[in-house]
Amino acid sequence: MIKLFGKQIRIFRPRSIWIRKVVQWFFFAFIALISINHTLVESGSGIPFLASASLHALCPFGGVETLYTFLASGVLVKKVHDASLVLMGIGIFLAVLFGPAFCGWICPLGTIQEFVSGFGKKYLRRRFNHFVPFKLDQVLRYARYAVLVWVIYVTATSSTLIFEAYDPYFALFNFWSAEVAPTALAILGITLVLSFFVERPWCKYACPYGAFLGVFNLFRIFSIKRAESTCKADGACSIMCPMNIQVDTKTVIRDHQCISCLECTSEAICPVAKTVIFTSGSVK
Amino acid sequence: MTINSKTLAALLVIILFGGIMASSTLGWWTTESTKEPVKFSEGEYAGQANPADIRGSYTFGDVANAFDVTPAVLAQAFGITEGDPAAFSLKELETIYADSPLEIGTGSVRLFVAFYTGLPYDLATAEETYLPQAATDILLEKGNLDAERLAFVETHTITPGMEASTPEAPSTPEAATTPAAESTEHTTATVEPYVIKGKTTFADLLSWGVPQAEIEKLIGAALPDPTMLIKDYATAKSLDFEVLKPALQAEVDKVKK
Repeated sequence: MIKLFGKQIRIFRPRSIWIRKVVQWFFFAFIALISINHTLVESGSGIPFLASASLHALCPFGGVETLYTFLASGVLVKKVHDASLVLMGIGIFLAVLFGPAFCGWICPLGTIQEFVSGFGKKYLRRRFNHFVPFKLDQVLRYARYAVLVWVIYVTATSSTLIFEAYDPYFALFNFWSAEVAPTALAILGITLVLSFFVERPWCKYACPYGAFLGVFNLFRIFSIKRAESTCKADGACSIMCPMNIQVDTKTVIRDHQCISCLECTSEAICPVAKTVIFTSGSVK
Repeated sequence: MTINSKTLAALLVIILFGGIMASSTLGWWTTESTKEPVKFSEGEYAGQANPADIRGSYTFGDVANAFDVTPAVLAQAFGITEGDPAAFSLKELETIYADSPLEIGTGSVRLFVAFYTGLPYDLATAEETYLPQAATDILLEKGNLDAERLAFVETHTITPGMEASTPEAPSTPEAATTPAAESTEHTTATVEPYVIKGKTTFADLLSWGVPQAEIEKLIGAALPDPTMLIKDYATAKSLDFEVLKPALQAEVDKVKK
């Protein structure tokens, strides 16, 4: 840190929130191992001391999908377990506090998309994440709410986990299983290919759980906030944002797409200390 | 309060795993099916397991634990002759009967268990559910089917050499000679497409060669959307499907003779 014209300027700043990567890959490995172990246990073997659980049980969105059926009849949609409801509750609690931090820090599908995007950033440089025309992008951002409504409707009316046949998360950790529908594998493949060009395409345009959690951005307790008094208005925060949010034009980020990754903060890309921060209080 | 990335990481992990541990302590954290179907909550059968909640992940043993039916009976009904019947997983039925023209799977087990034990079952949801001949034989031998269930099994049994039997299925030459889809030793079904059922559409009639004019004459109106189910049309127009069906079937039989 140096002091320049009365402002604290960081010269050697980290390019990324490294602890986030650690958490992301921890959960990726955690879910992968449990899913593999589940397959092994079903075939009569299994890894000692490692939990075995159906992947459906480890998906908080299962709780959202079954919520109507659970409230209406007291039973869960087939393949959904109580654990999904617990995870849904924890997910909501986290979202009230921190917004969709689940998306930015925990969701393995987000992690794998970011991994592929790393190659896109390397080879496409400034063109990366700027392929979709702005106006079209703004409209498409709401498509995930249509997906959310559709999933809830078809699940409620059929009492079956219809979304499983389209779910890239399920395909990611079960691609070796005959349970995975070709459509889900195709959607996973498309998502990964698009991730080379666009950051988190599934999260931005299609993820129903991201849509659900995104609503909490409107009233979350801890938010990304920008101090106008110290902001250099260099636009670094907006350029860095994986969800293309114009952070430098707002003082409080209430955008429904924010995933609380903190990549825009003074801890990462913002060169001025305590200018873009994650706080429950106010900034000047 | 301002938090940094390390604090946020710690909070996320603590809240997530703390929540899971707390729910586990409270007995809410279950990641596998308990293999116990939900129970009827009211009425004469309150407290008894509901066969409609039997799931594909169950084994015959799991079913036997919840209902008054043995794995051996289930194995006999569904033609499972190898291995331990109690360890047989229901979802394997769909693989075993993969070539059957009419699906035999978990739904068939639900239906069989309900009929075998005499427990309630919504037949409206079982329109596309069929039983192998062996299962029907066991049910008939047990002799506890009422008239409605007896009629149902008569129309929803896949018998060797013929399609799922239907009361109105005529023994036309086509029905007898259409190539059978060989599947397993348990099901050798013959596809018989010229019988009007609840799922038959007007488009089906036209494709079978029934003239549009004849259809319009019988329904007394212009041909509706051809993709519409005849049964739905009858309901919408307050016509009796059971009256309309034989009349249309007669036209089908005429063109197929």
